[in-house]
Amino acid sequence: MSGNTPSSSRGVNAFINDERYRSIFYQVVVFGLFIWAVLSLIENTQINMATRKMAVGFDFLKNTAGFAVAWTPLDYKPSDSYLMVYWVGIINTLILAGISIVLATFLGFIVGILRLSKNWLVAQIASWYVEVLRNTPLLLQIIFWYLGAFANLPRPKQSIEILGFESLVLNNRGLYIPKPQPEDLFWLTAVALVVAVLIAIALNKRATRKQQQTGKYISTLIPTVLIVFGLPLVVFVLTGMPLEWELPALKGFNYRGGGFVLPAMLAVMVALVVYHSAYAAEMVRAGILSVSKGQTEAASSLGLKQSFVMRLVIIPQAMRAIVPPMISLWMNVVKNSSLAIAIGFPDLVSVFMQTSLNQSGHAVEIVALVMAFYMTVSLTISACLNVYNKKIQLTER
Amino acid sequence: MTEITEQNEVSEKFVPKPSLPPPPNTTGAIGWLRYNLFDGFLSSCLTVLSLIAIGFICVNFYEWAFTKAVLEAANRQECRITPTEFGTCWAGVKFWFTRFIYGRYTDTEIWRVNSAAIILILWMIPVWLPRVTAKLNIALSGVLIFPFLAGYMFLGGDRNWFMEIMVSVAVGCFITVIIHSLLCLFTGAGISKWIIQLTGFANRSERLHKFPVIVFAVIIFLLSLFLINDVAFKEMPNNLWGGLFLTLVISGIGIASALPAGILLALGRRSKMTVIRVLCVAFIELFRSVPLITILFMATTMFPLFLPEGFHINKLASAIVAVCLFAAAYMAEVVRGGLQAIPKGQYEAAEAVGLTYWQSMGFIVMPQALKYMIPNIVSNFMGLFKDTTLVSIIGLYDLLGMINAVSQDPSWIGLHHEPLFTAAVIFFIGCFAMSKYSQYLERNLGAGHGR
Repeated sequence: MSGNTPSSSRGVNAFINDERYRSIFYQVVVFGLFIWAVLSLIENTQINMATRKMAVGFDFLKNTAGFAVAWTPLDYKPSDSYLMVYWVGIINTLILAGISIVLATFLGFIVGILRLSKNWLVAQIASWYVEVLRNTPLLLQIIFWYLGAFANLPRPKQSIEILGFESLVLNNRGLYIPKPQPEDLFWLTAVALVVAVLIAIALNKRATRKQQQTGKYISTLIPTVLIVFGLPLVVFVLTGMPLEWELPALKGFNYRGGGFVLPAMLAVMVALVVYHSAYAAEMVRAGILSVSKGQTEAASSLGLKQSFVMRLVIIPQAMRAIVPPMISLWMNVVKNSSLAIAIGFPDLVSVFMQTSLNQSGHAVEIVALVMAFYMTVSLTISACLNVYNKKIQLTER
Repeated sequence: MTEITEQNEVSEKFVPKPSLPPPPNTTGAIGWLRYNLFDGFLSSCLTVLSLIAIGFICVNFYEWAFTKAVLEAANRQECRITPTEFGTCWAGVKFWFTRFIYGRYTDTEIWRVNSAAIILILWMIPVWLPRVTAKLNIALSGVLIFPFLAGYMFLGGDRNWFMEIMVSVAVGCFITVIIHSLLCLFTGAGISKWIIQLTGFANRSERLHKFPVIVFAVIIFLLSLFLINDVAFKEMPNNLWGGLFLTLVISGIGIASALPAGILLALGRRSKMTVIRVLCVAFIELFRSVPLITILFMATTMFPLFLPEGFHINKLASAIVAVCLFAAAYMAEVVRGGLQAIPKGQYEAAEAVGLTYWQSMGFIVMPQALKYMIPNIVSNFMGLFKDTTLVSIIGLYDLLGMINAVSQDPSWIGLHHEPLFTAAVIFFIGCFAMSKYSQYLERNLGAGHGR
């Protein structure tokens, strides 16, 4: 077919039709367009910033922030710099998200198992819990918890004493809790706890190995509990109980001393936990259902006890289906904790992207810093997820 | 021997053992109760506890919603049922309900929003009717052309030449879709067949068939240009838009633009060309790893800086662009999931037949992948519908923004719970319907390959 085309045009045709050259051409065009778009955006931004007399650069981070932050575990004063505000925001976001992740996962497992309950009523209630929570926006739920529950708390004088403790009180300023004050030798107890956990892990590994080699099952529950709680306790007592509790007490119009948590934080936390527990419950349910019934039957026919069937056969396989979506759910908790801004909890977006940005006007830098934080968190989490997936694949066959 | 045993048997009189009690009832109402609610001690305890919990919630809810309800009041103060206690002020919700749906849109112009909604519904109904042909064209025209008509109906004001053309194209498309669907429903043949029949081109060669259709399209276009010539709507600037209407506009534009953008991004992510793949991955990962609220803040603070001098972008437009970028990144992952579900043999077969890249994607891979993706697309839309509430944080008056506005109105100050409950019900109905629909699709479409 190409035999009767002249050799010169054949060469050009071959060049045009060669997939490699075409691909390079497309890539060069796309890259060129991208560079052009970025450059023109930068130029526009520079012109606009110049006409608005906005400064560029990260120097502003050293300036004094000058505003107070309603809640932070760090030692922050309004005279600190914007960089400090950034850290305050990050720590607040991480604390809020961390606690919510733990509680949401825990609650999600309970609800997920209840959804599979043989009791019809319980399963129905659990499934309506999931439906109602998943089908209303999180922001609405946060506002609902705040205005509906945590903004209506009584004044400090009429505080609610939780479980009758005078130093564990809830009022419209927040939740007041005793604050532990470690003294000189407390680090020994902490070290003891780490050592105890390591010993317990080694013990369990050894028991598993023994079981795999000899088939003999050694219960490690009691020794594990004894070591993990006993060793630190013994060290704690021997070093003379170096831990004091700073109790909150009503002084004047408000409680002083101890630790406290804002009502807004409680509201966001409850909303995050409850909302994401519904998603977690669905993952747990789907994970357990993904293990086929044949597995249970096979395990039973091998003569495994009922509790072993669950622990050794069903749960390890279900975890494989549960963990990856669960980790991306945790990522969502971190991202969704930014909605705390709606009710004024000082998280990263609130203190840095709103207050600091409005004060300093360094939009580009602040947006970049905030996005960098969230990207770091989610890239870290997805790296962990990849490692876990690799590990699972190896054990698979 | 045998005789003796026989005699023995006869002499010992046969006494049957007493019969066992009947097995517990496993059928009927009692059996159902026994099996599902009172199967053992733990289960019975759980049932009783659940019943107590349900009873508690129901009694309290009834008391809140009905016993304490105040249906007629002119302001919050009149909602008191005792001097110190407020009743459940449904009067406030009633007073504000139109605002919840349409925002601050002028009352006399609300019919424009309603009729745009009705036009969209009429436009899209044929897609679900089995007898109608050319569904893809109908759906595509609805997604791509309807927004211009809706945009003009919502915004009003003067039309420039571009809007004049687009609006008349949209009107023409709408008329054609309706005629086409009716013809399909009652005669079984689509509009193009009818045109060819009536103009007598049926027995000419196939190549000529497109001419009468093109002529018809031009006639329809000119007709609608003439139709809309005298129609002029009062201008309703978009700071008056609000409520559920705004929520639907933002999430609707978001999802309509997310699908094509998501398909391109997903194809780019799977492309063999490194530059394109890297750019697509970077875009997707960037927008998926940061919260929507940061993208919205970025849009309101940085988009004005990006534009060349002399251009202005209002808050709504920035928010819509932000939502579109966000939705596109998420949709790209949905599409990628669908593409990955297609076996490699399909790609190879398409290549082997000699199809180009875009042909094999358009005719072989995408139609199959879309089938897998539809449930996820619906749940993605549900997520976007919920996430749109975030625009209330940057100061737009969407449904949640209107709810917050109620409690700041001097005569209804402090009215939170009832409007929030109303909004929750609206969102729940919308999302629940969508999630049930997506489950229905999953049952009917997703498993199609397995059966």
